[in-house]
Amino acid sequence: MTNEPAILTHALAKSYGSAEAVRRLDLSVGLNRITAFLGRNGAGKSTTIKMLLGLVRPSSGEGTVLGKRIADPEENREMRRRVAFVAEDKPLYGYMTVEQIIRFARSFYPDWRIDVERTLLRDYELPTHRKVANLSKGMRTKLALLLAFARRPELLILDEPSEGLDPVGIESLLQTLVSQSADGVTVFFSSHQIAEVERVADHVCVLDQGCLRLDAPLDSLRELYRRIDLVFAFPPPEREFQISGVESIRTNGRQMSLFVSGNAEAVTERAHNLNATSVEVTRVGLREIFLETVREN
Amino acid sequence: MLWYKAWLETRARFLTLLATVTAVCGFFVYHALGDLVPGWRLERDFDRLLFVNQQILVFLWIFGVVLLGMGGIVREKAIGTSSFTLALPASRARLVGIRVGVGIIEAIALGVVPWTAVFVVSSLAGMPILITQVGLYLLLLVGGGLVYFAVAVLVSSLVSGEYTAPSVAFGVTLLPTILSDAYLPLFLNNRRLVTGAFSVDTISFLLSGHLPWLGILASLSAAGLLLWASIIVVQRREF
Repeated sequence: MTNEPAILTHALAKSYGSAEAVRRLDLSVGLNRITAFLGRNGAGKSTTIKMLLGLVRPSSGEGTVLGKRIADPEENREMRRRVAFVAEDKPLYGYMTVEQIIRFARSFYPDWRIDVERTLLRDYELPTHRKVANLSKGMRTKLALLLAFARRPELLILDEPSEGLDPVGIESLLQTLVSQSADGVTVFFSSHQIAEVERVADHVCVLDQGCLRLDAPLDSLRELYRRIDLVFAFPPPEREFQISGVESIRTNGRQMSLFVSGNAEAVTERAHNLNATSVEVTRVGLREIFLETVREN
Repeated sequence: MLWYKAWLETRARFLTLLATVTAVCGFFVYHALGDLVPGWRLERDFDRLLFVNQQILVFLWIFGVVLLGMGGIVREKAIGTSSFTLALPASRARLVGIRVGVGIIEAIALGVVPWTAVFVVSSLAGMPILITQVGLYLLLLVGGGLVYFAVAVLVSSLVSGEYTAPSVAFGVTLLPTILSDAYLPLFLNNRRLVTGAFSVDTISFLLSGHLPWLGILASLSAAGLLLWASIIVVQRREF
């Protein structure tokens, strides 16, 4: 096995007329990891995923998925044999029954796992003779996940996989993602559910306005990011805190709140030197990191 | 399994059309003499009746193949399933090709089954038809008429609307037919080629066997070009 990333893009861009959906994206998704792809609506996540799968052509730049060039139709087709994709709205053929669509999907993948298919059919309680059109959104999501998990992919690309699932379904999904990853499957998924991301992801990428704003392991984010709240006896000088690692500064009267991506010790030391009356350093969760990252832009 | 998908997609449309066209043709041939066309006599005008049947069948068949040409990956984009289909390890050319293949088989069946019904009904009514006449009518229908199916496939590769695509396809199919009746030289009139008007003996109303092979070849070539263009359009399109 090579150490080449599962997904690698270089200056990948997509424009629709004058609107830039994705701008010079340099993305590297490591093998055997669960990577979360976060961003607001319209940030360019789905467009990026579509480019990776060859559904839309990049305006410029290049990329590979599992070592196959995404812009080459033949290589892209070969890559899709090894990749499972679940799209945002879980679109499936409404005129097929659950059994028919499973049989249909199975025919494309020689190493389809019948045992996984049966287990998930039972766990998800999918009615095999019901038409897909008559399934609830949650059922359709479960069926789409079954079709993805049973094909023994090397890479799972999931666009909002938990959308439409109830809490039990979400729990089951998260456990499956972790077990898939433990089996050596690389997982790349977009989500708005940050609490879920925080539970399972190893690595986080944040896309905003088509640009990659954050690309780091979750553990390192937890380790480095801090909220520092300061209180001074006088209006604090913001300029004194504009140092490396300080992502944002908000001042309200004698209070100052800093959001830092590192260098927290230097900030607190400076606050003490400026006679801050209160210095409070708190850990921040992924939700706050995400919000600060996209708010800055 | 893409064949299976294409079949399931078009099955309801195809079976409805097949039943309708077969019923109309069978009913027409069985009841036309005496009931629908006063003055015609069974012994004298039966071959003429078959010629008229071909006119009716051509009209219904064109309507049918245009409907069968609808759908495909562009329509799937409109209803949201294109991302599932295009994520499968199948080339776009194969997706279109298999859909076209199933459509052509259905189009052929849409000609063969009604003519078979007419053949059976005529035999039961004591007026057996020459099998060669049925074969010639079918050859004209499919050889000259597949271009209408190809037009529909191309339109469905360009237009995604559920009602817009068939409307445009019917427009593109029928307008040249109407215009060519009025303005184009006779040899360019594809409708006359398909109905057998070029080949029929105007006294006996039997097809002569001297078929317009050049016309059939030109029509099939045009169909091939249109289908090839459909593949190119789908390959270049973004989803």
